[in-house]
Amino acid sequence: MILDEDQVLIKKTLRGNRRAFEELVRKYEKKIFSFVVRMVRNEDTAVDLTQDFFFKIFTVLDKYNFEYKFSTWAYRICYNLVIDHLRKNQAQVDSLDDESVSSRDLLDSENVNREDGFRALAREETRDYVWRIVDQIPLKFRELILLRYIQDLKYEEIADITSLPVGTVKNRIFKAKEILKQEMEKDGMLA
Amino acid sequence: MACLPDDKILAYGEGSLGAIEAAQVRDHLLLCPACQRTAERYREMERALARPVLSEPPAAIVPRVMARLYPALPRVTSIAALIAASAVFLITWIYIYFDFSSSSLIQALRLTTDGTSGWLANIIKAITAVYNGAQAATKAGSAVLRMLLPTPLGAIAAVLALLAVSALLANFLLRPLFRKARTRKT
Repeated sequence: MILDEDQVLIKKTLRGNRRAFEELVRKYEKKIFSFVVRMVRNEDTAVDLTQDFFFKIFTVLDKYNFEYKFSTWAYRICYNLVIDHLRKNQAQVDSLDDESVSSRDLLDSENVNREDGFRALAREETRDYVWRIVDQIPLKFRELILLRYIQDLKYEEIADITSLPVGTVKNRIFKAKEILKQEMEKDGMLA
Repeated sequence: MACLPDDKILAYGEGSLGAIEAAQVRDHLLLCPACQRTAERYREMERALARPVLSEPPAAIVPRVMARLYPALPRVTSIAALIAASAVFLITWIYIYFDFSSSSLIQALRLTTDGTSGWLANIIKAITAVYNGAQAATKAGSAVLRMLLPTPLGAIAAVLALLAVSALLANFLLRPLFRKARTRKT
């Protein structure tokens, strides 16, 4: 079997090579941290969870199946870790199942920065704005947007990680984009 | 002409429609300015989403993770140095405590080489001279120890203290030497 770069590092780690695992941590820390911090919306918690994630990965590394992509396996563990954490904090999980809340209500209830003059913002700022809105949408949509765009996963992989049907994943991502588009239109971010 | 639903425009943008449906959407977009505007809006949003704003993790994450997974265990070289240094201290102490100096091999060699010459005799004389100096120092140490350690319990305490001190010294003094040697080797 031909091993990819990650799998070579895993093999080395399993043979006791400390540097190989460090390389793996450095490779994934930014994406994992970005995903976690947007999920839990608290930097200190995100730091703890990111560390817990790498610790967990290390302890179960010998159970990794080399037939599958390491990143998908790792993201699943990360996703479960974050969801477990959020479930323990019931208040945050409530938004996970709350379909009745409109995007407008939700965004108004949170501290989204609504500065004047958005129309004049350049594309970079549009990107920042879109991602600020992503941070405010309900968790059930946000988690899928994060998996799709931060972790760069396909619908099928997201379905596998979240244990949702592929159709549901597609629908929720569409719904999330609809919310984003509405918000951007309201704020004049779209022509 | 009715406008297309948003999900169809999105699916077209993602390239997830079948060939026939995609052709229908493309034809519609050519003729419908409203749908063209919607498609452009989604494209712009898609461009923004495709370049996520990643959060920079604190620099301490990697060192903390590694320290948690690989606690600083004493290395083999440190352990070897510790054992060697401890053995030296222990043998020295036993030698002093039980006063083996009068029946030592060195003393015997010195007696046999007295009044002789030649390179071997000179080497033995040099060794015995160094030894005499060391013996004087150990006798002084012995006197101090005998004064401080009148009981076997005290002697055990002294051995343990010597071991602890030797371990610290070995770790402090010898580890950098081993590290340098290892670096040169690699």
